[in-house]
Amino acid sequence: MTETEVATAAALFEATLLGRQDAGATILLEFAAAAGAGPLKAPAPGQFYQVRCDTGKEHLLRRPLSAFGASAGQGGLRLSFMVDVVGWGTRRLSLLEPGDSVGMLGPLGRGFEVAGVRKALLVAGGIGAAPLAYLARELDRSGVTYEFLAGFRTVSGVCPGLDELRGGVSVFTEDGSRGEAGVACDGLPEILRRGFDAAFVCGPQEMMAAAAGLCEGAGIPCQVSLDSRMACGIGACRGCVKEGAGGRSLCVCLEGPVFDSRQVSWKKRTEGSGPALR
Amino acid sequence: MKNPVVLASGTAGYALEMAPLVDLSRLGAVILKSVTVEPGRGNPEPRIWETTGGMLNSIGLENVGVERLVEEVLPALSGLDTVVVASIAGETVRDFAKLASRLEGAGRLAALEVNVSCPNVEKGGIHFGCDEGATATVVQAVRENCSLPLFVKLSSAVSDISRVAEAAARAGTAGLSLINTIPGLAVDPVTRRPRLGAVTGGLSGPAIKPVALKAVWDCYRATSLPIIGGGGVYDAGDAVEFMLAGAAAVSVGTSTFQDPDRAARILEDLPAAIEKAGADGPRRLVGALKVNG
Repeated sequence: MTETEVATAAALFEATLLGRQDAGATILLEFAAAAGAGPLKAPAPGQFYQVRCDTGKEHLLRRPLSAFGASAGQGGLRLSFMVDVVGWGTRRLSLLEPGDSVGMLGPLGRGFEVAGVRKALLVAGGIGAAPLAYLARELDRSGVTYEFLAGFRTVSGVCPGLDELRGGVSVFTEDGSRGEAGVACDGLPEILRRGFDAAFVCGPQEMMAAAAGLCEGAGIPCQVSLDSRMACGIGACRGCVKEGAGGRSLCVCLEGPVFDSRQVSWKKRTEGSGPALR
Repeated sequence: MKNPVVLASGTAGYALEMAPLVDLSRLGAVILKSVTVEPGRGNPEPRIWETTGGMLNSIGLENVGVERLVEEVLPALSGLDTVVVASIAGETVRDFAKLASRLEGAGRLAALEVNVSCPNVEKGGIHFGCDEGATATVVQAVRENCSLPLFVKLSSAVSDISRVAEAAARAGTAGLSLINTIPGLAVDPVTRRPRLGAVTGGLSGPAIKPVALKAVWDCYRATSLPIIGGGGVYDAGDAVEFMLAGAAAVSVGTSTFQDPDRAARILEDLPAAIEKAGADGPRRLVGALKVNG
């Protein structure tokens, strides 16, 4: 394989924690790929990494985390993730200290498709804001205009860096502790009248179902980033598969996590499945 | 086989998924994901749940079907420099016969794994593997339709696995593959729902290693068949344990989720682990468990 070919594929590599920022209910972790990891491709917004949480054999499954930010410069690949502590794996990641090393596999999956989009609508709920904040920064770089509706439970969960974005950002909190009181979808009916080329949505299942319904109703193509428990992350085990519209199987790790909202079956129960990308 | 470390069926997909990440040519063999006569849709989500020292899955044999395996997957594996084993699963004896006949002469395959032990399907699966007569009938049906050597994959969730192994041996299997996942249930204590969409699943990973070792030991003593042993293999020490219990080769499954390259690492560490056990090669260890003094 040539270097270019290697650089286009998902890779297994070690990354060192550079720093952590405790952002209330969530933690922002910034990593640098270890020297010697070879040429690594930066993720597209919406792509994710399978992050190893355990160095022993008690917990074997990696946790899928969507990239919150990335840069592939001379110093190698740098990656950041927002982590919402919801279970064993994310708790373990939340205990990492600068200098600690973790195994990464990625970038994986299909990210948001932005080709041809001049005016975008971003709708996020909770930790779902992570991939969309990354998308927003990329849209800033390419001069695409957008509106970003971001909802959180309370002020301590608000995604960092939203103030620095150039697009229109509206923050909602369920308890009204920052921005408007309510959820991101509350802002949708009015803003949809402005017309958008595409909508990009990530959040809890019910929120995505509501947002997709409103966007589709307004004739705006909508892309949603699905969450699923994963084992392999590369389409081998079929553990993350969800039933899509028309009974089609959606392999979230390989064909997603981003799907056209019309491909998704929103009727499935969500109890028992984990919150957005642990 | 160039060495005794193989990738277990199910966790390595059709090997194509793993190939960009790991050098499969280093391994002894790759056992492909089980195929059925028609493509399988699998079970409702969620399909996996992590448990202490392992995981539960209820994938339910989602697969591309034997036709696509032969037409698309096997040709794509032509450049792979390792032994390839197909795994077949049927709902009926007739299904097994059909699968065997389609794979006869399909090329690329060195052997067939006959999966009579999947705990996640309503028909067939573990229902065959629980029954000595049914297991023997399946083995005979596959043998009559395919000249490849067979390895029957058995479940430990039976009252006496050695009797099923003996029945498979009498029916002419070339070897055994032990063990499949063990039926299990995980519960959400808040929502009162099962963690898996199919309610129950199959447990795998280091948590099942003692059960797998006993199954290998029981079958080794009962038959003289070569055994591919696995169930929670994580490091080279585990591989040696399986050899001592009677495994001629060792399969690595769930551990590859933590580290896709785990089987190759086990292979690297194996000579030192074998030496530590006081042997000069893997063959000397097979079944060499010291039970008397």
